[in-house]
Amino acid sequence: MRRYQKVINNIDRGLISTLLLIILMGLLCLYSATRSVNPGIFTKQLLWLLIGLTSMVIFFAMDYRVLKNIHWPLYLITVVLLACVLVFGRDIAGARRWFTFGHVSFQPSELAKIVLVIWIASYGSKKKGIQGYNIRDLIFPFVVILLPVALILLEPDLGTSGIIILIATGLFLTIGIQGSSLVALTSMVAISLPAGWLFLKDYQRKRILAFLDPTQDPLGSSYCTIQSKIAIGSGRLLGKGFLHGTQTQLRFLPEHHTDFIFSVVAEEWGFIGAGILVLLYLLLITKIISIGTKAKDRFGALVCFGIAIYFILHVFINIAMALGIIPVVGVPLPFISYGGSSLLVSMTCIGIVLSISWRRFIF
Amino acid sequence: MKPRVTPIPIEIEFRRKGVFLMAFVGILFSVILVRLMYMQVIKGEYYTGLSRNNRIRIMGIRAPRGRILDRNGIVLADNRPSYDLIAIPKDITDIGRVATRLSRLIGLNAKETAEKIRKGLRKPYTPVYLDRDITFKKMARVETESYDLPGISIDPSTERDYVYKDLACHVLGFVGEISKKELDAHRGEGDYTIGDLIGKTGIELECEDTLRGKKGKKILEVDAIGRRQKVIEESIPTPGKDVMLTIDKRLQVIASDSLGNRAGAVVAIVPSTGEILAMVSKPGFDTNMFLGPIAPGVWKKVVEDPMHPLENRALRGQYPPGSIFKIFVALAGLSDNVIKPSKEIFCPGYLDLGSRRFLCWKREGHGYVDLKRAIIESCDVYFYHLGKDLGIERIKTFANLLGLGMATGIELPNEVSGLIPDEDWKQRRFHRSWQKGETLITAIGQGYVLVTPLQVAKAMSAVVNGGYLYTPRIIASDSPRIEKQIPVPGSYLDIIKDAMRGVVEDPHGTGRMVRDSMFSIGGKTGTAQVVRKFESKRSDEKDIPYKYRDHAWFVGFSPVEKPEILVVAIVEHGGHGGSIAAPVVKDVIKGYYFIKGMDNEKISKGNK
Repeated sequence: MRRYQKVINNIDRGLISTLLLIILMGLLCLYSATRSVNPGIFTKQLLWLLIGLTSMVIFFAMDYRVLKNIHWPLYLITVVLLACVLVFGRDIAGARRWFTFGHVSFQPSELAKIVLVIWIASYGSKKKGIQGYNIRDLIFPFVVILLPVALILLEPDLGTSGIIILIATGLFLTIGIQGSSLVALTSMVAISLPAGWLFLKDYQRKRILAFLDPTQDPLGSSYCTIQSKIAIGSGRLLGKGFLHGTQTQLRFLPEHHTDFIFSVVAEEWGFIGAGILVLLYLLLITKIISIGTKAKDRFGALVCFGIAIYFILHVFINIAMALGIIPVVGVPLPFISYGGSSLLVSMTCIGIVLSISWRRFIF
Repeated sequence: MKPRVTPIPIEIEFRRKGVFLMAFVGILFSVILVRLMYMQVIKGEYYTGLSRNNRIRIMGIRAPRGRILDRNGIVLADNRPSYDLIAIPKDITDIGRVATRLSRLIGLNAKETAEKIRKGLRKPYTPVYLDRDITFKKMARVETESYDLPGISIDPSTERDYVYKDLACHVLGFVGEISKKELDAHRGEGDYTIGDLIGKTGIELECEDTLRGKKGKKILEVDAIGRRQKVIEESIPTPGKDVMLTIDKRLQVIASDSLGNRAGAVVAIVPSTGEILAMVSKPGFDTNMFLGPIAPGVWKKVVEDPMHPLENRALRGQYPPGSIFKIFVALAGLSDNVIKPSKEIFCPGYLDLGSRRFLCWKREGHGYVDLKRAIIESCDVYFYHLGKDLGIERIKTFANLLGLGMATGIELPNEVSGLIPDEDWKQRRFHRSWQKGETLITAIGQGYVLVTPLQVAKAMSAVVNGGYLYTPRIIASDSPRIEKQIPVPGSYLDIIKDAMRGVVEDPHGTGRMVRDSMFSIGGKTGTAQVVRKFESKRSDEKDIPYKYRDHAWFVGFSPVEKPEILVVAIVEHGGHGGSIAAPVVKDVIKGYYFIKGMDNEKISKGNK
C-alpha cells in the first residue's frame, strides 16, 4: 500500500495538470472554430484524444529504456511507412501524406518526428565522457536523418521536413558539437541554402516570396496572414468572448481549426487568454527540460531534451506564423490544432517524459 | 556548447544543457509575448477597426483583354474604358432603401436590384454587379450621393468594343458575363469570379486564355459604409495578349458587301497555305448588342430568329454540295482508273436505272461528252455513269481523303463534320439498305451528302495547289499545317484544273458569267436541290417558295496556273450557282487583286 502510494506521489502532477489545462483550452477553441462549419471535427478530435491518452498511459507504464534497445526497428518501420505512404497514400490537394482507413487518417511524417528524437538520443547516449561531435561523427547520423526527410519532401511536405531538420539540429547542438566543426557546418549550410531553393515546389517558393514581399500574392498566403493578424489584434486585452470571434465565426480566416487555431484563441480570449496559453506551454516545456536534467541516464535526458525541442519549435513556429513573424508553413499547434496524428504523437511524447520522470526514483 | 577538456559529471553536464535550452525557449517565447502584447494591447484598436464588419476588401482588378487584329494590324475588337456599378451586400444596412434610391437616381429597377443584393448576401463581401458600363451622367449622380449609398461604389473597368459592328462577327465571336456553368467548369484554373467577362463564341472563345491576361488584386481598407479609405496592397494585372488573324479586313468588307443581306456564306482562302483571308456568314448581328446587360427581348429575338443569325454558316452550315461535288468524283474516277479523260459518254438527257429515270439538268441532253466537257457543262448523266462504276464506298473513301465528312480543324469552336453517306451509315440511320440510285445522285452531290463551305474551301485548295491538303487556319501566328498529300498524279490534277478553267472561259461553261479579261479564273458551279423536283415542270424560280429554292454554290480560284486565292460562296435558296453565287466569288477575286495592287503601290512608294 505504501509502495502504491509512492507510485502515485512520484508522478509529475504539475506536468499533467499543465497538459490538461492546455487540452481543455484547445477543445474549447476547436469547438468554437468548427461548430458552424463542421461539427464532426470536434467529435473526431475527442476520439483521438482518448487514443492519445491511452498511448500516453502505455508509454508511461513502459520502461523508456526499451526504446533505446529498439531504436533501429522503430526507425526502419518509420522509413517503410514513409515509403508506403508515397505509394498507397491518399492524394489530397496534390500531396500524399496520409494513410486513410475509413474516416480515420494517419500521417506517418508525424511519427517520424518522435522516432528520430529517440534515434538521435540513443546515438548520442552511446559515447561516454563526450567531447562534442566533430564533422566525421556527424556523417552517419546525417545520412540516417536524411532518408526519412527526403521521403517526406517527396510527399511533398516542406513544413514537416523542415521542422524535422530543425529538431535534429537542435538536439545535436544540445548534445554538443566541437567549435571548429560548428563553424564549418554553418558555412556549409549557408552555401547550400540557395541550392535548396531550386528543389522547392512553385507554391512553396510563392509562400516564401509572399512573406518576403507581401505584394506578390495578396490573395494567397498573405491573405491568411492579414486575416490572422486582424483576428489576433482585434481580440485586444480581454477578447471578444467564447464563440464571439467575428473573424472566426464569419469564416474570414481559412484553416482556422488547423494551422491558424492560435488566432481563434487570441481573438476570443484576448491577450489574457492567449498569454495564459503561451505561459502554459512555457511551463510544460520547462518542466520537460527540468525532468531531462534530473534523468538518471544520458538516454532519458536526451529524449527529454529532444521532446522539449519538438514542442518549442512547434509552438513557436505555429504562433509566430499566426502573428505574421514568419512565413506560412503548415505546422500544427501541439494539443490544440485539429489533427489526430499530431495529437497522438504529442501525447505519446508526454507519456515517455512521465516515464522518465517517474523512473528516476526507482533506479 | 563548447567542448570541455575534463570530463564533467553527468548531472552538471545536463544542468548546463538544460539552462541552454531554457534560455532558448525563454527568448523565443518572449518574442511571442511581446509581439502579442504589441498587436493586442497597443495596436488592438487599429485591428478592431479593421475587424468590425471586416474592413478589408479584396477586389480583383480585371486585366485589359487582348485585342483582335486583322492580318495588317487593323483592330477588329478593341477595349474602351467603362464604369460598372457594384454593391458589397454586407455593407448595405438597408437594402430596400438603397435600391429605391438607386432607382430614383439612375433608373434601376428597385425590386430587381434589391433581389440581386439579397442573393449576394450569401457571399457578403463579394461585389455584386448592379449595372455595367454606366454613363458619365449616372456615374456623377451616384458619386455625389455616395454618402447616402453605403456599400455602393463605381468600379472602373473596360468594355469590349467591336469596331466594325457586324463585320466578321461570327469569326470574332463575343464576350459575355460568365455563367454559373462556365464558372464551375473553370474552377481550379484561371481566376474567374462572378461578373467576369468570358469569350462565348468565335475567336473570343477559342483564344480565351491568350486574350484574357491575368487579374490583379487590390486589398483595400474601407470605412464603415464601405467606401475606400486606403489601398493596403496592390498587384497590377497582366494584360491579355493580342490575337492577329489571317483575315484581311478589306477583303472581308468586300465579301460581306457582295453577299449583301442574302443568307449564305463566303470563304476566301490562300490555297497554298490554308490561310483564311475572309470568312463571311449572313445574316449576322451587331456584336456590341450583346455587351452589357442584354434586354431579354433582344436576346430571345436573336436566338429564336428562324434565320439563325448566330450560326457561322461557313463552318456550321451543312449543305448538299450539288455539282461542286463532281470535281471530287471525277478525281476519284481518275485516281482509281475507272475512267480515262478522253473516254466519251453519250448523254441523251437521262439515265434509266431499273424502273427509275435519272434526269440530266439539260433535258435535251449533252450528246457525246468527255471528262472535260462533262465538267465544263456539268453533265449529270456522265457522272451518273461514273458514280455507278465507282460505287458509293470508293466515292466515300476519296471524299474522306479530301477532308470531307469531318471537321476541318480550323481554330474556331463548334465546327460540324458534314456527311458523306455509305451503306453502313444508311443501315444505321434508317435501317434500310442502300439503293443503287442513291449512288447516282450522290455522284452529282445530291441526296444525303452534306458539306460545309469551309470543307469545300479546304478540299478544293488541295485540288488546285498540286494535291497538298492544308488545315485551314485563321490565327496568324500558327504555322501552315499539311495534313497529307492526295495520292493523285499531278497530270490528273492539271486535267481537272483545265476543265475548271473551261467552266469559266468556255462559251458553254456554266460559270461563264465570271469570265474576266484581266485575270484567269477557274471554278465550278453548283446548284443544290433542297427538295427533289423529279420531272415537275420547271417553273420560274420566283414562283417557288423561298425555302424550296435551290442553294447556289460557286467555287473559284485565280490565277489558274498558280492560284493565290480560292473563294467559295453559297447563297442559300439563291437559285443557280452560275448566276447567283459566281458573281460574289468574282467580286472577292477582283477585290483581292485590287487590294494587292494597292499594297504593291504602297510598297513601291515606300521604296522611293
